[in-house]
Amino acid sequence: MLFHVARCVGQLAVALVGIVTVAFFLMRAIPGDPALYMLGDFATVEALATLRARLGLDLPVWQQYFVFLFRAVQGDLGTSVVTGQPALTEIWAAVPPSAALAVSGMLVAVVIGVPLGVVAAVRQGSAVDVAVMLVALGGISFPVFWVGLVAILTFSHALGLFPALGASSDAGFWTALHHMVLPAMVLGLSVSAYIARLTRSAMLEVLGVDHIRVARAMGVPERRIVWKLAFRNALIPVLAVIGVTFAWSLGNAILVEAVFSRPGLGSTILKAILARDYQLVQAGVLVLAAAVVLLNTALDLLYGAIDPRLRRS
Amino acid sequence: MSATAEQIDADAEAAARRRATFRRYTRHPGFMIGAIGIALLVLVALLAPWIAPHSPTRTDLMNNLAPPSATFWLGTDQFGRCVASRLIHGAQVSLQVGFFVVLISLSLGTVIGAVAGYAGGWVERALVAVIDILLAFPSFLLALALVAARGNTLDSIILAVAIAYTPRIAAVMRSVVLTIRPRPFIEASRAIGLTPWKIVLRHVIPNALPPVIVVATVSAATAILAEAGLSFLGLGVQPPTPTWGNVIAEGQTSITSNPLISLSAGLCIAYTVVVLNLLGDGLRDTLDPQMRRNTGKLL
Repeated sequence: MLFHVARCVGQLAVALVGIVTVAFFLMRAIPGDPALYMLGDFATVEALATLRARLGLDLPVWQQYFVFLFRAVQGDLGTSVVTGQPALTEIWAAVPPSAALAVSGMLVAVVIGVPLGVVAAVRQGSAVDVAVMLVALGGISFPVFWVGLVAILTFSHALGLFPALGASSDAGFWTALHHMVLPAMVLGLSVSAYIARLTRSAMLEVLGVDHIRVARAMGVPERRIVWKLAFRNALIPVLAVIGVTFAWSLGNAILVEAVFSRPGLGSTILKAILARDYQLVQAGVLVLAAAVVLLNTALDLLYGAIDPRLRRS
Repeated sequence: MSATAEQIDADAEAAARRRATFRRYTRHPGFMIGAIGIALLVLVALLAPWIAPHSPTRTDLMNNLAPPSATFWLGTDQFGRCVASRLIHGAQVSLQVGFFVVLISLSLGTVIGAVAGYAGGWVERALVAVIDILLAFPSFLLALALVAARGNTLDSIILAVAIAYTPRIAAVMRSVVLTIRPRPFIEASRAIGLTPWKIVLRHVIPNALPPVIVVATVSAATAILAEAGLSFLGLGVQPPTPTWGNVIAEGQTSITSNPLISLSAGLCIAYTVVVLNLLGDGLRDTLDPQMRRNTGKLL
């Protein structure tokens, strides 16, 4: 187990350096002079030179890369040109509301998606299966921001059950939770469709293997076969799906935050894009990618706990 | 039997095989609904200037937010533009994005994935590391950052979304190629002295394509959703050019009084994504018998 943990941590370190590298070269591959972009067309030559020197743009690219990497390792992702604050501090302030949304959305998705997928697989070909798959197809087909608008129209304007906009995180836990219900449901429903489809296929695969057939022949009760024998073996692919959909749901979370006018990484990054505040955009993208890498490392550790075979391989 | 009779037999057999394949497609309800649905949409996009009852950009401020009528099928938006005409023209943007994103990401992803899977060794390890790292970036966010930096013309949106979706195709391609590499016909091509590039292009890629085409069809749907999301955030193709995403965004301002504007645009997007997904599922069932058992989607 210790070896497994060490390997996961090692992979995490490599992946983190990897995302910093990709973010650096992606931003550099874009044509144009960031200094000119920030100061505008009427900037003086001296002002441009000063800003270039301050941003380190006068150095050769490989040197810029190592400076960037060295600073990133120390937690310095540059300075916001708009506020003058360290970019990481700005981004960090926006993390709690976004993390709350992402976690609640994922919770909704798992609670809805996993049981639906299992039921559809157990009753393969039945009306229940067809119905679940149709709903799942609908769930991945409607744009998440549109579902958000429909939810606001129905549950806020028509029924008056939930507030439409904002997060109210400083108005107490229950008010914040009340504001969270619609966004979390909207985000969760779109992801649950994927989880249901993939849980179903993972379960179908496991239900077809020999030891399940033997258990059936021996008269083990169906409920025990499904949940104890099959679901346990399907758990790893299901967890893997959660890992894959997490990155995707973070992208959707940006749209959900926009629809519900919630504060968070989405609005921070959008504002930074409109203000051409590249250091901030870069820091935001890095933090989100790091979140995905961290979640996947946590899942890797969990696989080892679930399946002893994976610790050794 | 004479040579011509043999030829005739072979021709008949080939024709029978073609008919059987054709039947496999036409008897798959999902595939047929998807194929016809997409064909209709392409037709609408191509004939948009003739089908649309009005110009999609002509404003008429005297007649804004009009309810649906015989002249304005879905009413007008806050600038008095015909919503139905905007949706019909909006199909052009969505379909272009779907088509070109798949074209670019499929070409790039197939080659990168095939090289990674076939080459093995350090080439594979390096490419897989890069693919894995790129997959850690939420693709919508990646597209967002690229569009923000490259500007929001249709070209740069297509390029940004294509770059964001290439790693996924490459990852699928590689995993398929890994199952093809040990098969005897690849060994045979090596034995007769074909160069690795020729083996990859002539034998590996064609045999690995079916599952990748399925993923590509579904990617077209995700690309259309991504473009709609960018448009909704105001980072897509700029108004007054109509896109389904910006019709939803513009309809948001009058959503309580005229919900039909945003609702109908959302239904257009959902329709497209549903038919593309049905087409993808149908292709998977008909193209690749081995995948038929596993009825879940790849992604």
